[in-house]
Amino acid sequence: MSEVIRYQGIPFVARFRLSAGELMERFYQSLKAKKLTALKCNCGYTVFPPRIRCPKCYARLTEENLVELSGKGQILSFTKVYFKLDGKGNFVDLDEPQVLASIKLDQSDSIFFAKVCGEPKDGAKVEVVWREETKGEFSDILCFKVVE
Amino acid sequence: MRVAIIGYSQTKFEYDVEMTREEMVFKTAKDAIESAGLTREDIGTVISASTDFLDGRTISNCMLIGATGAYLKDETKAEEDGMYAVLYACQRILAGIHDVALVVAHTHSWIFNPHQVSVYMLDPLFDRQNDLLNDITLAALQAKAYMKRSNATEDDLALVSVKNLKNASNNPYALRKMPDATIEDVLNSKIYADPIRELMVAPPCDGAAAVVVASEDFAKKYCENPVWIEGIGNSCDAYLRDRDLSRLVSLEIASRKAYDMAGISDPYREIDVFEVTERFSHQELMIHEGLGICGDGRGANFIRMGITEFYGDCPVNPSGGALSGDAICATGLVRLIEVAKQIVGEAENQIDGVQRGLAHAQWGLCAQKNLVFILGGDYEA
Repeated sequence: MSEVIRYQGIPFVARFRLSAGELMERFYQSLKAKKLTALKCNCGYTVFPPRIRCPKCYARLTEENLVELSGKGQILSFTKVYFKLDGKGNFVDLDEPQVLASIKLDQSDSIFFAKVCGEPKDGAKVEVVWREETKGEFSDILCFKVVE
Repeated sequence: MRVAIIGYSQTKFEYDVEMTREEMVFKTAKDAIESAGLTREDIGTVISASTDFLDGRTISNCMLIGATGAYLKDETKAEEDGMYAVLYACQRILAGIHDVALVVAHTHSWIFNPHQVSVYMLDPLFDRQNDLLNDITLAALQAKAYMKRSNATEDDLALVSVKNLKNASNNPYALRKMPDATIEDVLNSKIYADPIRELMVAPPCDGAAAVVVASEDFAKKYCENPVWIEGIGNSCDAYLRDRDLSRLVSLEIASRKAYDMAGISDPYREIDVFEVTERFSHQELMIHEGLGICGDGRGANFIRMGITEFYGDCPVNPSGGALSGDAICATGLVRLIEVAKQIVGEAENQIDGVQRGLAHAQWGLCAQKNLVFILGGDYEA
């Protein structure tokens, strides 16, 4: 069989713009004010971060469903992560392992994933840690710290 | 009306393969058609399975029309595992539109790291901005959640790798083979995110697989040894944030649908071999529970007691499974082929007297989607 000649660096790049939608826009704005917002559906399910449809009963959610969360929650499970992907397909070893957890916020029914600072354990209570100067971006949330 | 598998082929799973995608797809498609004793002219519809992100180009099937033999035929692509393409092929045949379908699935992992691509499955407005999230770290969280709910330990996870990598040593198509693997070897391999080590992750690789499926009339007329599709079940769970990661609820639903269709009430006793897509070791234990072949939270007992060894009561992945090589879109389709081989008596780790087998494919982060096929031999049901 003939040898395959390999070309390197063939680009596949697209910098996308995505519509956040009205409710996700409100979520980002609340980050700037150091607040976490969720949507509480009339069926009782509370989803964080917001969606326009309830993931349980599919009812349309509007800004009337917006609720503010306390920023406190509980670790469901956690892992010590030893690597990162650099965005170009390379594995990069971390100098120190970082803790990633699935967290359920108080008053919320959905789970989400966040970095944790402090010694984690299953069921530990955690609280959001804000960046000093917030901009209304995802990175305003620095991590969740273990409080007990 | 029933649908039968009447031909199949797969390439050896390798990494950095000395074959272009076109050559690989052409060879697999041609071999499958020939194994069915047919020619390109006999094929009514062609369904390929690949993903554009993994292929590095969009509408990737358009570049492969020559290689799949689909030019000027009815043709489409599933952006999923090839086993889904078989589901769509069955629907086309059962609708009475076509008699014979060719399904070809392929992935070249060497061209770009598939774990990096997994990041693009995340919600871009939130999760994708967390630079620690990817398929491996999410699998670690799933494994932890499962271990908390069940009695599974890190040793049990390692034992799944030991079994499958040993089984793979007899499989000429497998990439990762470790006939002498031990629990210690697995636990001492490079740690990614606890409890997930390198040998607990299905290694992305290059490969292709193809099957030819046909209507009952066609199969009876032209095939001496058809493998009948007796049941199919498919189910998709919610996005990661609205799921209980410690369970495969969509697999519970998919498998029950497939059992109902095949008339199976006790899968543990009525199914002779299982080939499942365990992208990570812990998932094989979760799959036992999802398939209902063991009690809730008892997935690990099966591996500890040797029940899922190829010589056990309930063999799971005698081929080595996904842990022995993961050519992503071809991996589930290969499970289907392996079960078909067990039924016609052509498998490498052949199990005596297989009449009925189960093949499973998954798709999405933490096995969000699950698909189950029940195959049976050429006996009157």
